[in-house]
Amino acid sequence: MSREFKVGLFIVSTTIIILAALLYLANEKGLFAKVYTFTLSSKSGDGLTEGMPVVFSGFNIGKVSTLELNDKGLVLIKIKISQKHIKWIKADSAFILYRPLIGVARIVVTTNNLNSPPLPEDKIVVMETVNDINDAITKVQPLLEKITKIADNLEHLSNNLANPQGDLNLILGNAQKITTTLSTKKSLLEMAVADEESVQSIHEALKKIKDIVTKIDKIADKMDVQLYGQEGTLPNINIILKDIAGKLQKLDTTVDNINKIGKDTSEGMKDFRMLRSDIDDAVNAIDNVVKKLDNLISSKKDPEFKLP
Amino acid sequence: MDLLENIGRMGRKTAMSFIETISFAGMVIFRMFQPRTYNSAMRTVLINQIYFTSVQILPVFIFVSIVLGSFLIGIVFQLLKQMGLTGYFGNVLMGLIVAELSPFFTVLFITLRSASAINTEMAVMKVNGEIKTLEIFRIDVINYLLVPRIINGIISLVLLSSLFSIVLMFSGILFSWIIFDISVDVYSNILLSSANFSDMVISLIKCAVFGFFITLIPIRFGLRASREFTSIPIVVSSGMVNVFTAIIIIEVLSLITKLF
Amino acid sequence: METNRHQAAPVSIDVPLISNQEVWMNIALIKQYHENMPRLQAQNMVLNALQRLDLVHIAYKRNPSLTNEERFCVFLLRACMVKDAIVMIDRPFKIIPHLQDIDFIFQTLKKIDDFYLTCHIYDYQWMAGKYGEK
Repeated sequence: MSREFKVGLFIVSTTIIILAALLYLANEKGLFAKVYTFTLSSKSGDGLTEGMPVVFSGFNIGKVSTLELNDKGLVLIKIKISQKHIKWIKADSAFILYRPLIGVARIVVTTNNLNSPPLPEDKIVVMETVNDINDAITKVQPLLEKITKIADNLEHLSNNLANPQGDLNLILGNAQKITTTLSTKKSLLEMAVADEESVQSIHEALKKIKDIVTKIDKIADKMDVQLYGQEGTLPNINIILKDIAGKLQKLDTTVDNINKIGKDTSEGMKDFRMLRSDIDDAVNAIDNVVKKLDNLISSKKDPEFKLP
Repeated sequence: MDLLENIGRMGRKTAMSFIETISFAGMVIFRMFQPRTYNSAMRTVLINQIYFTSVQILPVFIFVSIVLGSFLIGIVFQLLKQMGLTGYFGNVLMGLIVAELSPFFTVLFITLRSASAINTEMAVMKVNGEIKTLEIFRIDVINYLLVPRIINGIISLVLLSSLFSIVLMFSGILFSWIIFDISVDVYSNILLSSANFSDMVISLIKCAVFGFFITLIPIRFGLRASREFTSIPIVVSSGMVNVFTAIIIIEVLSLITKLF
Repeated sequence: METNRHQAAPVSIDVPLISNQEVWMNIALIKQYHENMPRLQAQNMVLNALQRLDLVHIAYKRNPSLTNEERFCVFLLRACMVKDAIVMIDRPFKIIPHLQDIDFIFQTLKKIDDFYLTCHIYDYQWMAGKYGEK
């Protein structure tokens, strides 16, 4: 076999393979198929673009080729359907511009009776519009009102927590006072030896604080379930927000408030933790004092000692 | 001051070299479209060049394509599966592997095998005075030496890269069946829907441009050799560095083209 | 000379053969390039010319594997491929250093005298003895 023959064979066979692959691709993509043009009309060209797909039962059967405005102010939409799919376009076919909430807009063709005569190319068919965004907004409106109410309540709650005259802040103030008193040695002795009621009151205060913490926990849990649970509000809000974010500026305030509540709550919790550790320290100190007193009493013959 | 002068000199030299390469390329393209370039001697060289660049290495190339392509497809498909991107495997196969990686692997293969050989061949011819022989017998160096090698570069790159892509697509059938449990029908449907004509055309044009420059640059640098044998390694190494720079520039330009 | 420039057909050690091509391709190159002679026709013509010098066996060899005499003959045949060639042999004893006299060159030229118009041999004055001149 000569060199020329080998080179020729290589070039010809490879070129044939490449051309065959390209032709197959072009054929499958419908580049060589005869194309039919139909004209649709619409009052508005809103949401229509050239190249928009035309689908039948979820399959692409063609695309919008041109858009033009006629003398009557109607938008004329020319769609191109390849010969392969022409069988789906009949005289009673309905053309609906479908603008989904998610995904690209498309013209959906529905044909109830496939036995009806084919649609003439010169006939102008009126196109209907289904607008998912507007439908969604109508459905979402009552839900939004509810969300606003919840947001208001949450705001009220957070205001109570943030108010310097509120219950929580009063408790925190009292607790601070108690720890201040506990930290001075003089009053510790008083409380440890002479005034048993003071110790009791600390216990009661602790209990109260615990109750408050539990209540706040419950509130937080409820809020959590209400806001973040499976049936909660926020997931729903999030889904809706993705598509209508621009129209829901009010929700920004709600989210801000929720954040504020979370922040306030976490700060309150931090204070409680500090308070509890202060009280633990104080109780330990009292315990030490009592032990020292016991030692003193047991070591001296004369159990008398001076109180400050 | 010296540093600035050096930088300026280097910049000027690089710019001049770039302009010279482009104008040289323009002249070669002009000759490529002149019918009288295609005389019997030139055709003989062209056939020999295609034979050495493509036909002779065809078994090795197909073997490497099958092995490399299969591993590549296997790894990419496995990664897609792990990342839950199974739905994108058609786009990855067509857009990344067929349109990007096959021209790249082919150009690397041809550059390493043929461009280096062309560079050395030209340098040796210059040192031996063979280029002078051609001039004495009034044989145009561009028509006789350059054009057939460059046309060979274009033809070989386009054909071999397409072969590589076809081998990859066949490997894809096997791996999509093993990894994704996808039948041949579904596989071909996914490929068809992911295939983009403009991407394929860009890919073919890119191969042609690759083929043009990976032969033009080594020839140009080879012809820069002096009459001394010691100049051969210098022109070969600088030629090869420039070829790889050109490959990177073309790759980047093709990516930019795809952005718009 | 200037008007006959296209007929100039040098035979010189400074005009070497193309090393990556076989002997027949080196000779056929001139006809293929300037007269666009088809490859097969040019190949046959070269083989016939080589036959006249009893050198067909070197047709598919390359430059490095040729003897000095063979190399000279290839140079000469290549020069003869120029249309209406005016062959100019530059220092023949540099191409074949071991030659005792010019006879081999004259005999070779005679065997293919229909391939060229005229032939000129250029050499140093002191080489006159090798040419049988005193």
